[in-house]
Amino acid sequence: MALAKTIAMLVMIAYSPIVYGQCAFTLSGKVTDISGSRVQGVLIGIDSLDKAALSTAGGEYHIEDLCPGSYKVTCTAVGFRSQIRTVTLSENARMDWVLLPDTTLLNEVLIKGHQQEGLSTLAQSSLSAESLFKSRSESLGESLKQIPGLNSVQMGPTLSKPVIHGLHSHRILILNNGVRQEGQQWGNDHAPEIDPFTADKVSVIKGAASIMYGSDAISGVVLLEPDSLPTVPGLHGNASVVAASNGRMGAASAMGEGAFGHRLQGLSWRLQGTLKRAGNFSTPHYYMSNTGLKETDFSAAAGYVRGDLKMNVYYSQYNSKIGIFDGSHVGNLDDLEAAFKRPRPITPSYFSYKINRSYQSVHHRLWKATAGYSFSNNGSLELKYARQWDLRDEYDIDIPYSQDPAVLNMPQVSFKLVTHTLDVVYREPGSARFSGSIGLSGSTQGNVFKGLRYLIPNFRNYGGGIYAIEHYHKDHWDLEGGLRYDYLWLRVYQRNQTTLGLYHSTFDYSNASGTVGAGYRFSSRFSAKLNVGTGWRAPSINELYIHGVHFSAATYELGDSTLSSEHSFNTTLNVHYASGSFQADLDVYDNEIDHFIYAKPTLEPVTIISGTYPAFQYTQDNVRLSGFDLEASYGFLKHFDITSKTGIVRGFNKSIHDYLIQMPSDRFDNTLAYRLDSLGRFRNCSISLQNISVRKQNRVPPNSDYVPPPDGYSLLNADISFQLPLQKKKRLDIDFAAKNLTNKAYRDYLNLFRYYTDDLGLNLVLSGKFTF
Amino acid sequence: MKKVISYASAVIILTVLWGSCKKDEQAVAPPVPENEFLTTVELKVVNESDPSDVQTASWIDLDPDDDTPPDVSKAKLTLKANTKYTVQVLFWDDTKTPRGDVTAEIKERENYHLICFTATSGLDLTVKRTDHDTNSPALEVGLEDEFTTGAASSGTLNVELRHQPNVKDGTCDPGSTDADVNYQITIQ
Repeated sequence: MALAKTIAMLVMIAYSPIVYGQCAFTLSGKVTDISGSRVQGVLIGIDSLDKAALSTAGGEYHIEDLCPGSYKVTCTAVGFRSQIRTVTLSENARMDWVLLPDTTLLNEVLIKGHQQEGLSTLAQSSLSAESLFKSRSESLGESLKQIPGLNSVQMGPTLSKPVIHGLHSHRILILNNGVRQEGQQWGNDHAPEIDPFTADKVSVIKGAASIMYGSDAISGVVLLEPDSLPTVPGLHGNASVVAASNGRMGAASAMGEGAFGHRLQGLSWRLQGTLKRAGNFSTPHYYMSNTGLKETDFSAAAGYVRGDLKMNVYYSQYNSKIGIFDGSHVGNLDDLEAAFKRPRPITPSYFSYKINRSYQSVHHRLWKATAGYSFSNNGSLELKYARQWDLRDEYDIDIPYSQDPAVLNMPQVSFKLVTHTLDVVYREPGSARFSGSIGLSGSTQGNVFKGLRYLIPNFRNYGGGIYAIEHYHKDHWDLEGGLRYDYLWLRVYQRNQTTLGLYHSTFDYSNASGTVGAGYRFSSRFSAKLNVGTGWRAPSINELYIHGVHFSAATYELGDSTLSSEHSFNTTLNVHYASGSFQADLDVYDNEIDHFIYAKPTLEPVTIISGTYPAFQYTQDNVRLSGFDLEASYGFLKHFDITSKTGIVRGFNKSIHDYLIQMPSDRFDNTLAYRLDSLGRFRNCSISLQNISVRKQNRVPPNSDYVPPPDGYSLLNADISFQLPLQKKKRLDIDFAAKNLTNKAYRDYLNLFRYYTDDLGLNLVLSGKFTF
Repeated sequence: MKKVISYASAVIILTVLWGSCKKDEQAVAPPVPENEFLTTVELKVVNESDPSDVQTASWIDLDPDDDTPPDVSKAKLTLKANTKYTVQVLFWDDTKTPRGDVTAEIKERENYHLICFTATSGLDLTVKRTDHDTNSPALEVGLEDEFTTGAASSGTLNVELRHQPNVKDGTCDPGSTDADVNYQITIQ
């Protein structure tokens, strides 16, 4: 019977040329057997549309040109049970199948798969599994630089934060496992408290995504998602090891997962942990003392699926101790100026794993529980609760002046932030033309600051938001629109320095945001989408209340508690072209931000006991960020391909008619690769040579910085990688990379330690991953 | 099933409310009493040929984290020409009563500290550090010094407390600045 049906459907595909090009969605996935090995030649079909596809050698299948709507999908293969499942398409979707022998007695086969969330007319890019594997030695901020339009703002070799279209910190959101990452993200040196090994998929939304995620998503969103939990009984997992010559860095990460059968059918679990250690990193000519790193991370997840109900709990822990480069300690402006004049830091050059003062000790814990229910009308409801606990202790290079041993061991500044978030999303059943969702979200945060010197005050906030997004699809067109309203209440608690009396100040902020977008498919090769959206952000606690010396920048910063919210108006146009071996993506954007908050130099310097400092006052102006990202790849001569990426951003202060400081300079990334699908026992072999060229940032306002931006630079990287399939569908992935191959001395404008030291020299990285 | 969801949501909402009821942010931490701020730098000068000729110059900034200007009205010395003075540099925390003695902590960590003196070119004053730390070889500290005045002149003497953990080499270059203050000196 199954065989007959297969043949019938094969005949059907063979005789149905592509006549349904007007709908743009793709349903794809992989087909595996119960042991996890991929199965070729399985027929996946949508009977009502007469559409079907056969799985490839890699077990992958794609059914293209689907309209939005709800479909019954069948999976048929000789010797296996036929299966039928329903999918509701409003986006490209994945549906993975696990084949069961014809004689199996298991009642149900579970399908893992989920629809992509978000706005389809915004530009979105992801890191492929391959590039994610190759960037395992890097921090999140560094690995995202592979996506055009992304940069990273750094403080030395270990502290790195992603920059999207010129903006970072509290102007972008990081969504870790579906939860807004909440730490002290306002600080340039406060890197995201995330173990990148937990993520199986990393993608970036470029543009104002406030509609979906609330405030702060002014310039974009970084999404980190783990793979879905397994559904087939058995133990699986992977183990990764990374060794790097620079910093003599070593990282090991392991993950194990499984699902239960029989009476515990539907229950699955995953355990994961990472250890990372690095010593002093080196530039081409010297070591940077005290730049080591120690990180210990752990996560656990459990899921339960029964009928239409899905439940999930997740816990993760991030613990790190990060040394701060000794040469970056400057007491005052004179120290800073002396540091600029030195061709190399005065600090001793040596290797050690020891982390001395000053350092940061950061702990982050996340608890998350989700529950989802699919209704009989194909609508679904999801509840998500998360609690994040973030403790950041910073130890200055100076031991406090005290005789008390307890004070001597105390961090100079300590922040504890506890965040609770609750999200409820209802996805409507959807029809062939319409799909959409409505959501409610609530959050509260309590911030406790302790310190030997003042930095920011304590606060409590409560936030709430409500939104609706609707998507319409017809023929070549996709239209979508959304509305959102947010409210934020903030109370700041302080103590009068002289009377020691407690007092508080209360603020509230509210904002309505909206988005409209349209996508048009000119042909199966060429499509374009345009999105216009607004975003907002309430001023952060440092902008309102910081008061004191910013260490390592030798500036005196003054907050302003009367600042109002920032509002952005963001337009993005994305054009996509793909034909055979050529593919190109262009994003053009313009982000107009009103009441943009920044630290403006004041004319009067501030004199305190440790010296004289230039003063900066937080203020607001209207600014514009615009630019484009281009990515193109071309395959030639059978095994060669070339990929070219360009990121250009311009930041301009419209109020004072001058450039914005700290904007990424033009970046060009070109890679030539030679690939072989198989070579003896090896699979997916590649060898590549990459050139990264960054131009000098010439667009800076005069007298805004102590030293002019550093010169541009051009780096060469090389990479060799392959896979080795082992017995019983086990696999070994190996990657060997040489970064900064010519050991070139350079400084990057966005690395705030460029005042004091060169950037990293040659780094040889060996990464291995064993999958079982 | 809907019952389960409503129970689950009730539990979640209660957890949020309960979690947010712990208001530890309202108890703003008071200043740590044992921590000492550097607020005052004093030069105590004693005429070597006349021990009754004692002067003290003070540079005071009572709110060391704040941008209010320091009190420099007492940061002045009038010295006799061609005279030797024994000098002590003293550091105080004047936010407390009685005033906190920070000099003792600096003395205790003398291997990490160096006091540097810079006189403006017109000022005919020579400064020699007379105390040494326990580094090997021993390096100067500068908490105790000798001033030698020349001809009548006036100018500014800059006093810097340099913090040099593990990098002290006898020069002023390494490390960072903990205090950087100026005194008006008149030699007559």
